[in-house]
Amino acid sequence: MRYGFVIDQQRCIGCHTCAVECRFANSVPEGTWWNRVLTEDGVFCDTCEGDINEVSLSYVTVACQHCENPACTKVCPVGATYKDPETGIVCQDYDKCIGCRMCVAACPYTGVRSFNWEEPKYTVGFPTGDADAAPHQKHVVEKCIMCRQRVAKGEEPACVRVCPARARFWGDLDDPESEVSQLLKKRSSRQLLAEEGTNPNVHFLV
Amino acid sequence: MADFSSGVIVDDDLDFSAAQGRSKTREAAGAKTAAWGGRGLNIAIGVSAVVVVAGLVLWAMQLSGGMVQTGMRNLNSWGLYITSFMFFVGLSAGGLIISSVPKAFGIAGFGGISKVAVMSSIACTVAAIGMVVVDLGQPMRLWELFAYSNLGSPLMWDILVLGTYLILSCVYLWAQVRAEAGKMSHTALRVISVVALVCAVLVHSVTAWIFGLQQGREMWHTALLAPWFVSSALVCGTALVICVAVALRAAGYLKWERANLVKLAKLLGAFVMVDLYFFGCDLLTEGFPAGSGLEVVAMLTTGPLAPYFWVEVIGCAVCAVICFTPALRTNGLLVVGSLLAIVGIFCKRVQLLVGGFQLPNLDYAGPLTSMQHTAWDSGLSGIYGGMVYWPTPLEFGVTLGVVALGFLIFFLGLKFLPLRPVEEASPSK
Repeated sequence: MRYGFVIDQQRCIGCHTCAVECRFANSVPEGTWWNRVLTEDGVFCDTCEGDINEVSLSYVTVACQHCENPACTKVCPVGATYKDPETGIVCQDYDKCIGCRMCVAACPYTGVRSFNWEEPKYTVGFPTGDADAAPHQKHVVEKCIMCRQRVAKGEEPACVRVCPARARFWGDLDDPESEVSQLLKKRSSRQLLAEEGTNPNVHFLV
Repeated sequence: MADFSSGVIVDDDLDFSAAQGRSKTREAAGAKTAAWGGRGLNIAIGVSAVVVVAGLVLWAMQLSGGMVQTGMRNLNSWGLYITSFMFFVGLSAGGLIISSVPKAFGIAGFGGISKVAVMSSIACTVAAIGMVVVDLGQPMRLWELFAYSNLGSPLMWDILVLGTYLILSCVYLWAQVRAEAGKMSHTALRVISVVALVCAVLVHSVTAWIFGLQQGREMWHTALLAPWFVSSALVCGTALVICVAVALRAAGYLKWERANLVKLAKLLGAFVMVDLYFFGCDLLTEGFPAGSGLEVVAMLTTGPLAPYFWVEVIGCAVCAVICFTPALRTNGLLVVGSLLAIVGIFCKRVQLLVGGFQLPNLDYAGPLTSMQHTAWDSGLSGIYGGMVYWPTPLEFGVTLGVVALGFLIFFLGLKFLPLRPVEEASPSK
């Protein structure tokens, strides 16, 4: 089993719904984003590149890439970040993390891993989302865990469920019949920073 | 100067043949030596202790109020603590290597500074370990390192090697004292010095691998990093030994031949040249293909890190000139040159650490928050336009506390341990 995401950049409208739902479902602390919608072309958010004759604007949503060859799990001195052999999810054990931030330095995907620099605060004053999501802790590293509390119950991750443009797909990349495998077969795709050799399980349809 | 021109090289490194016969007088002398230190040393110990306590208070503040009080955030997740960690690991090299190389290879040493040099190594190693501890978010979970060790992590290697290094340095110091008292064979001391030397080289390589094995950071990912860390360590370590030896001689703690100072200075000059050579090799290899490595070269030479780059290059060059020009090898200038080398290597550590975070792999515009960077509200250009990291006063305070801990240990060693060269303390030959 190798769970992964397929994200259709042709369909993504940059609405940030996936990013907001991710924060809601996992009660992500104030100031932290596990999943971010980035503007690929312009210098600022939602700006395009080019002139009046030819403009381009596309979005790339960036969260943990759940790499097949993760840089982070290798360097963690206590194994607080590890690849779950059953699902392929790169997990994060808050109770174990010693807060050395070695994984933050190792991850090539800038800004994917976040450290709780202060006592985690809830954005709306109380916890939201899944009751069985692991509670957040001060001075540990966290990141997208592919909503493993939902995956364990056979549900899909929150960001996939809510995407209004139906640009996000999730499934088993090892199963040739799965929706994600079929999409990758039909369409041309890319991985972020493929040259780093991490072999992400997040694929972007271009 | 005239005091030191006698031409007799006092060497505590070899020849213990007569040691047995002299051991009685030496023990008596050792007891006398241990009592060294006047009011000045007591004041120094007191001041260091006070600064250590202040540092502990600030560290407690950092842990209770959160590391949000530091200048570090998700986009620059390491800072002054890890910079200083690299720096102190490097500084610790000199003493041990200066002291162990002559013994390991059976060549003439650098006079009676062997034990003081190892003491400076011990103090620097303790400071280096302290820097890692204050950088941790969850220091209470340190025990996990031994319970759940991931032996594949370079950080784990470093913890193991650094711990071994500290213990070995202490054992090595103890062995030297025993050997001088005639209670340990020359062979045993030689074996310990070889092991200590290997461990010293390993400690720098492993520290380099914490950075150099990370493919995601353009500036760090180079095979040269480990040998380069060894050469930088030799530069600032030797420079530190020169400063300490000159200062202790001036304070009357030990007598030291001028010939030995000149020997050390020449060695320092050679180390500086090797270190600059490595820097040149690295810059050329990064810049020549004119790919992404060119960004690293631009960042260092003309970008946000240029002040640190040029201080290092010019400081080290000046140091080399002082070391290689006989007319310039006065005590004062050699100390100035050594200090320039130490400052230069610190600047190098800053370049390495900040440089790793200064060039993001994904620099697309997106939501920015105060957890990603302290200058989050000025956008990506505000974050990466200048130096991506600058410490807060709290970080300076905690760092100062850890540095003071190193000084405290060194001063306590001077006061209570028999570190003076035995020959000089016992004129009754």
